[in-house]
Amino acid sequence: MSARKKLSTFFSRYAVVIIFVIITLIAIPPSGLSIKYILQEIITRLGRNSFLVLALLLPIYAGMGLNFGMTLGAMAGQVGLIFAVNYGISNWQGLVFALLVGLPISVLLGYVCGLVMNRAKGREMVTGYILAFFINGIYQFFVMYMLGSVIPMGNKSIVLSRGYGIRNTLNLESVRQSLDNIVMLRVGGFSIPLVTFIVIALLCVFVVWFKKTKLGQDMRAVGQDMAVAEAAGIPVEKTRIVAIIISTVLACAGQIIFLQNMGNLATYNAHDQTGFFAVAAILVGGASVTHASIANVFLGVTLLHAMFVVSPLAGQKLFGSAMIGEYFRQFIGYGVIAISLVLYAWRTRKAAAEARLSLRGAQNGPGKGNGKPAVGNGGQA
Amino acid sequence: MNGTANAKGAPNTKTRRLLIRGALLVVYVLIMVLMIYSGRRHTILIDNKDAADGSYSAINGMEVSIDKQESSEYYPGDRDKAMVQGQKHTIKVNIFDDNKTIEKSFTVPLWSDVMIISVPKVVAGIEPWIAPFTMAEQIQEAQESAPPAGETTFQSLGSMIPEGMEEAQQSP
Repeated sequence: MSARKKLSTFFSRYAVVIIFVIITLIAIPPSGLSIKYILQEIITRLGRNSFLVLALLLPIYAGMGLNFGMTLGAMAGQVGLIFAVNYGISNWQGLVFALLVGLPISVLLGYVCGLVMNRAKGREMVTGYILAFFINGIYQFFVMYMLGSVIPMGNKSIVLSRGYGIRNTLNLESVRQSLDNIVMLRVGGFSIPLVTFIVIALLCVFVVWFKKTKLGQDMRAVGQDMAVAEAAGIPVEKTRIVAIIISTVLACAGQIIFLQNMGNLATYNAHDQTGFFAVAAILVGGASVTHASIANVFLGVTLLHAMFVVSPLAGQKLFGSAMIGEYFRQFIGYGVIAISLVLYAWRTRKAAAEARLSLRGAQNGPGKGNGKPAVGNGGQA
Repeated sequence: MNGTANAKGAPNTKTRRLLIRGALLVVYVLIMVLMIYSGRRHTILIDNKDAADGSYSAINGMEVSIDKQESSEYYPGDRDKAMVQGQKHTIKVNIFDDNKTIEKSFTVPLWSDVMIISVPKVVAGIEPWIAPFTMAEQIQEAQESAPPAGETTFQSLGSMIPEGMEEAQQSP
């Protein structure tokens, strides 16, 4: 491969990462923020978001694309937190309780999601996105009407004044940063939530280990070619369902970690953007619809959140309005997903064209095969 | 031979699997219960007021701490709150007058959100010095202790405006 072609492949593969690095570097000076502040923010946000983004890995391995259905797990986590606050369970015990409540719900939702996606093979991403809207309706009904009426809520301070339904914003003061604060390491002026990072590291170890197991290998085989995997005796549909269930359960835990760091819960819309920002982060990290790694997760979270930290202030300094920076965030998030999908489609088409070309070249090339020489220009088109 | 073994082994495997799953479910529920027991938070009101019947009187000055939390100073008529997690706790009272320290343990019922500790009762050794606190009961007690002096009017209930404000509002 020529150097030019190598460079072209590199740029097309890492276009999003390169664009992001350039924009972030340009935005840092006008934002006026110190490097130390930006680094501290990135450390905090790595602890807050990495778990959620890691939840996207297994469905990508299983060839199911970016799991927008992870929102279902986020909703399960929120239900768990509502019950933890209702029963007044504080500290890390509250988080474990929320996880134990959310776990069966996320398994059930993941199973349903997997079943639906098996009926929409090849269109998993849009199916997951729409399924999240559907389940959101059920979640709204459950939280707005069932809680407090059918399911008694002892803590009246979280219930709406009409007697049922949960308030718009829930104060998670009882569990706020309870995981982060178990051990807060202070190194060189930086605060590092050690336990949160240990939990994230354990998940990374799990992902690495899982890829080596029989089920992990099956997932990769299914992700590469479903027909071949089926022919090899791998239960394709079951494997895909398992991938989605694990992803949904991890999203449930990830949302709990995210919300304990934030310290409050927007009951009816905290989960809306969960899938969207997680997907944006992994794509910014250089992942694609078919390929992703743990490194993509951390690089993506770092770059996306560095941008999120600097963009409002850069917007304010450059255009006189912080809102420009806020709009920029949304624009960047959606833009990144769009660019990645377009680049993926373009690369796939290019790869197919190259394969076709090389095949034609092989057929028409001199001294190959036993047939007559082809008529025409010898496949040099 | 193999077939017989399978026929005999199958129900065993099924039973064992069922038992393991049942045990896991029990462990799951037990962890949940453990989290509720160890993580449930309660509000403790620390009260330093005279008894309505005069059986005990407020302490002139003291320092009170619950578990290993930061201590606070209390004077007659004071009431403050502390948040505790779990059921078993200790209260440490240090009375300024005679520099006496009293330490007592107490248990908070699992489903009680708010408990009130009367420190004068603790010092006087009057049981029970800890009781559940509910707003409704407090209102009822306040109404019962109010003198039944004829018809209740808005004036008899007192003004809604704080004392210092009344004069300021009346002045032109």
